[in-house]
Amino acid sequence: MALPPLDKDGFLRDSGDWDRDVAAALAVEEGIALGDAHWEVLELLRRYYATFDSSPAMRALVKYCRQELGPDKGTSLYLLKLFPGSPAKVSARLAGLPRPANCL
Amino acid sequence: MRYALLVLAPPQASAVHRAAIALCEAAIAAGHALPRVFFSDAGTQVALDSTVPPGDEPSAREGWQALARNHGVELIACIGSAVRHGVLDADEAARFERPAATLAEGFTLGGLGLLVEATAAADRALTFGGGAP
Amino acid sequence: MKATLLLMNRAPYAGTLARAGLDAALAYAAFDQSVSVLFAGPGVLQLAPAQEPAAIGRKSLRRLIDSMPLYDLEAVYADSEALDRHGLAEDDLPAFVTVLDPAAQRELQDRHEHLLAF
Repeated sequence: MALPPLDKDGFLRDSGDWDRDVAAALAVEEGIALGDAHWEVLELLRRYYATFDSSPAMRALVKYCRQELGPDKGTSLYLLKLFPGSPAKVSARLAGLPRPANCL
Repeated sequence: MRYALLVLAPPQASAVHRAAIALCEAAIAAGHALPRVFFSDAGTQVALDSTVPPGDEPSAREGWQALARNHGVELIACIGSAVRHGVLDADEAARFERPAATLAEGFTLGGLGLLVEATAAADRALTFGGGAP
Repeated sequence: MKATLLLMNRAPYAGTLARAGLDAALAYAAFDQSVSVLFAGPGVLQLAPAQEPAAIGRKSLRRLIDSMPLYDLEAVYADSEALDRHGLAEDDLPAFVTVLDPAAQRELQDRHEHLLAF
């Protein structure tokens, strides 16, 4: 599919453009095939954004996963396996959230 | 004694910047260490290369640049605040597709971790331009 | 480790200083520092419930504050007199915020090496 407009770092210019197909296409760019485990985290991220009006830094993402998904999934290793490289940034990108504050 | 400074006031609040620069000079003259000044919020605008203060008023930017030149003080503008205030280095100008880099010489963009690091290593941390306690 | 107290003194949406202070607080927490936050003066308005800043194109600082425990930042305090002055009750605040009278605030400041005022 044709991707909606992205910024230089690959984040959606307009978060209103996000849907599940867009997420899947962005994931292909990252070399990730989205499975249930990925979707669970992406949906959690969208809930985080709706609740806290912000994209989480890694620390908050790990703790939120632990709270909402249980101790097995609330670890940085688990998130690193799903979203290699920089999990907070990659998962925010796929979930259609703004980039986590680059001050952190 | 080791100092760290956080500057929040815009350069138009020239008295705040003069006071901060004077404090830095006095501390360094007294033999204290002052390795880094961190600018955040509107304070980052002092790192704008494109502001033109009246010719008969001292420039806050030039005051800071002299401090960096003469004493090796590192001047860091919070990258998150800076881009919101139009202060872009070449990388950020390219990233956000803006027409020009506007960061003045002597300043560097950096993350809040550099503020955390500076105050963690300091005996005294001072804020200029925030709300008084 | 140096204990740092961040003083939040500004109303939430007048400028961007309130947001800059909260971002700094989250950064200190994200870097595992010993950090506390005190809301005082008009800064207590950052804690007001049901903020609807989308109408002015801003994001809710109260919601950002609600995420503080996810950064393990729970040493969060509010000035009792400022709350009174701005018509806020303890029930309006996030559950992790502790209300302090002026004497307790002086004690809080004494427990910290650094004070950064936003």
